[in-house]
Amino acid sequence: MTQTFDKTTRTEAPLRADEVTALRGFLDYHRDTFRWKCAGLSQEQLAQAHPPSTMTLGGMMKHLALNEVGWFGSSLAGLPYPPPFDDVDWDADPDWEWRTAADDSPEDLRALYDDCVRRADAAVDEALAAGGLDAVSVEESSSDGPFSVRWILLHMIEEYARHNGQADLIRESVDGMTGE
Amino acid sequence: MERTDRRPVRADEITTLRGFLDHHRDTFRWKCSGLTQEQLARSLPPSDMTLGGMMKHLAIVDQSWFEDDFMGRGLMPPFDTVDWDADRDWEWHSAQDDTPEQLLALFDEAVRRSDAVLDEALAPGGVGLDGLSVLDEADDRGRFSLRWILLHMIEEYARHNGHADLIRQSIDGQTGQ
Repeated sequence: MTQTFDKTTRTEAPLRADEVTALRGFLDYHRDTFRWKCAGLSQEQLAQAHPPSTMTLGGMMKHLALNEVGWFGSSLAGLPYPPPFDDVDWDADPDWEWRTAADDSPEDLRALYDDCVRRADAAVDEALAAGGLDAVSVEESSSDGPFSVRWILLHMIEEYARHNGQADLIRESVDGMTGE
Repeated sequence: MERTDRRPVRADEITTLRGFLDHHRDTFRWKCSGLTQEQLARSLPPSDMTLGGMMKHLAIVDQSWFEDDFMGRGLMPPFDTVDWDADRDWEWHSAQDDTPEQLLALFDEAVRRSDAVLDEALAPGGVGLDGLSVLDEADDRGRFSLRWILLHMIEEYARHNGHADLIRQSIDGQTGQ
């Protein structure tokens, strides 16, 4: 089995909107673009790299799931990591999510990813309701203090866009599919 | 080249957006730095993208969104005299004939022009982030807000930097964010 995503249903960022709507629109656009880049591939295809890079689309999906709950859940809201990330020995295996994705089915990867996006959106809803885009994170950076919600949203947009660029080349090498 | 992180962790909307854009422009300059003309013309098959082509592409994308689409001032040289009907990917194809220094000079000039537009639009009394583009899409989408254009340029650079990550690694092994 494979993951499915109908590209015609992808969220488009509104051309004229307030700051919050625009930021969340671009984030959803890139989440959907990433779902599309992973759709229709077998477990074996999701575990293929495009050498010399060792990144895989399946590993990237698990990595972005971790980033969603890491930035919006843990850093922003101070929430504990959900399973399976709460139980990992990160010191022993810092790239655990990239490495273990090869053992997950496409459906399981997507279910984990979608669950993490739901949790992230709930944390963003709560932070925006409480303090808007200038509200700051529970966790602080090593040198500059806490992060604004604005910064975290923009960081996740750049994080997704960059990984989608990598996904463009990996996907093309797997089955020839291209497109923005 | 040396790169400093230009993304302020707590700032107003304009400062934050421009900081992220500058950060990605610098990241792209860094991904292209230290390579010869021949290395800038290499691709990572099956994709046919090259770093040199990407630099020329991002130059026209940067300049055209801010100076042409937003302000209506037209394309900068050399893009203004290209026969785009004959080769719609001219900037990607012609980059292999340019030296690394020529490509960077063109890119820097495009960025300088775009930043001048942003300085004007975002100055006190300017149109601001809700200001609308001269370009009016023929479909029912209408005009683009400057907020959308800035966010689009950040995602455009970030996505191409993702391409550049893998292409650069295949050329000389260099990796990094």
